Amino acid sequence: MDLSVQQFRSEAEQALLDLYERSVDALPGDASVADLRQSAIRTYAGLGLPHRRIEAWKYTDLRAAIAEIPPLLAESDAPVDGTAFEAAFGKAFAQLPAYRVVLVAGAVRTELSDVQGLRDAGVEFGALAQMLESPPEWLMASLDAASASGDDVLIALNTALMTGGVALRLPEGLTLQKPVHLIHLDGADTPGSVYTRNVLVAGEGASATVLESFGTLGRAGVQRNAVTTVSLAAKSAIHHIKLQREALETIHLNAWVANVGADARYDAFQVSMGAALARNQVSVRFAGKDAATDISGATLARGKQHCDTTLVVEHDVPACESRELFKLVLDDESRGVFQGKIVVARDAQKTDGKQMSQALLLSETAEFDSKPELEIYADDVVCGHGATSGQIDEDLLFYLRARGLPEAQARALLIQAFVGEAFEALDDEAIGDAFAAVSAEWLGSPAE
Amino acid sequence: MLEIKNLHAKVDGREILNGLDLTIPAGEVHAIMGPNGSGKSTLSYVLAGKDDYEVTDGSVTWKGEDLLAMEPDERAAAGVFLAFQYPMEIPGVATMTFLRSAVNAVRKARGEEEYSTPDFLRTVKEKAKDLKIDMEMLRRPLNVGFSGGEKKRNEILQMSLLEPGLCILDETDSGLDIDALRIVADGVNALRSPERCMLVITHYQRLLNHIVPDRVHVLSKGRVARSGGPELALELEKSGYADYGDEATAA
Repeated sequence: MDLSVQQFRSEAEQALLDLYERSVDALPGDASVADLRQSAIRTYAGLGLPHRRIEAWKYTDLRAAIAEIPPLLAESDAPVDGTAFEAAFGKAFAQLPAYRVVLVAGAVRTELSDVQGLRDAGVEFGALAQMLESPPEWLMASLDAASASGDDVLIALNTALMTGGVALRLPEGLTLQKPVHLIHLDGADTPGSVYTRNVLVAGEGASATVLESFGTLGRAGVQRNAVTTVSLAAKSAIHHIKLQREALETIHLNAWVANVGADARYDAFQVSMGAALARNQVSVRFAGKDAATDISGATLARGKQHCDTTLVVEHDVPACESRELFKLVLDDESRGVFQGKIVVARDAQKTDGKQMSQALLLSETAEFDSKPELEIYADDVVCGHGATSGQIDEDLLFYLRARGLPEAQARALLIQAFVGEAFEALDDEAIGDAFAAVSAEWLGSPAE
Repeated sequence: MLEIKNLHAKVDGREILNGLDLTIPAGEVHAIMGPNGSGKSTLSYVLAGKDDYEVTDGSVTWKGEDLLAMEPDERAAAGVFLAFQYPMEIPGVATMTFLRSAVNAVRKARGEEEYSTPDFLRTVKEKAKDLKIDMEMLRRPLNVGFSGGEKKRNEILQMSLLEPGLCILDETDSGLDIDALRIVADGVNALRSPERCMLVITHYQRLLNHIVPDRVHVLSKGRVARSGGPELALELEKSGYADYGDEATAA
């Protein structure tokens, strides 16, 4: 790792160091966790906030975008009830049957969460803040692995400042019948920074669906940094699904890091429609043969929203399969970014990797930046990528209008059809319907 | 019922319709024939309201109203239906969802009550059966992967569901084998009624054996060059369009 020493710090960059200094004594964790934090903040101090001259951040200049650093959100007893969920996520999503875990300022609100249900189902579960005080070996291993990745500033800052989140382990062979729904809700009153780390560990042959939804109570400007690490033992399966519908003042930084064992399957699905600036990173590393991943989703953006989806799939071992499909609907002056990197190591023969990003531009001033990167060191592989951007097809629009659909309804139907292709990755009908409903709501037309 | 007077229309700056006059009384079926490039399809698009077709002169009156002043969806609500020569494929929209959205949009615009789900399904089932359309086909995305015949039958299904007053069939016979042609023609004939008029656009006489018109008009260079009874179609079948400026046929 090449740690260049930063010459100059912006005010916000310095404010992050100050935030750490001010908070460090109160941050949860034992001595080993404190060491991780210390090392992470040093990494950050060396790198600063990523900017456009850093290749992975070419289209999303975080240093330019972040002017102020609000204080860490304190645990709040802000009232949260069913109406808050519906306002934040829409009715269909809020009512999805699941083991619900509600996090406010990163802290688990036990009175709103079905922790007992999870434990009864055989899941090892705890609030991260408590578990960091004497972390079990599996948790420490996950934290160490995330820190070892080193030069990702987003993750380094998260390690330094994480105050909340959950740690969840599925023992060998356990199949969860209901999804786990981690609901992150913040921003009731004052602006604040929220750093959460979720750690998911799936034992051999275990399987579960884990939903994460991000919403805002009220409208206060939240800066969110949320990292989830997923460790999949052989033959396990995790379907990891996200809805981000935060208020327009929000800065949303999110990284999912998955390590996938032999014959295991990690599928990620994300829909982003909120926040002023969102950066969604998903990185998947294949550690064992015959594993697979499908990473798909959609971005719906308007106004001046900026939404960046950056995927990295590392084929380190032979015979693994990766699929990526993202659909972006961009209106007004919004900007959508898709970066997809597929790295195939020399030994990773029989790799099968495909990537596709497609943007539908609804205005002249919307912008789509797409950057596929294929680094292939093996010689017996099938890899492909594609990117398209276009406008609504006027001939299709005319066909629908000639059948009596008013223009707005015809447009909405075509946009939904475009986005809907990404939703095919969801095999759970209730979840698929919930996403169709939130996207229909975004389009301003009621769902069927 | 439909009255077209001195219609001039341009596409991409080129004049295609050049003073077309045509009147179709209620209950009648009129056929428009003519060589390629005579303006047959342009007429159908102008009547349905496609954007890039610019009307520069003339008028179209439908049931006493100015059709040209209406948006495409308003025309559909007013009872104008165009069966497309090339029906559009729309991945991601289930045919059934599309049918239901269209029918309910038109019913709403006409001040009628929207169908309930069971009523709608029953109606579709009945009409689909007559057109030999499998319900499984209607669960597929609109026209995606449909054969030529399936697409055209789907157009006629939409026509019967939307209950139009003016049915415009644009080369509905193209790409159909004889069995499919018969099914489509039977579907169209079932819709003939004293309250409805039809405009059947075709290059070949063959369709008119099955859908027998009251009047036949020959289009040439953007205007009606000749009109007559059904026998005119037979005559054209023998002589071709050489007299009407079709160079391909003349050569």
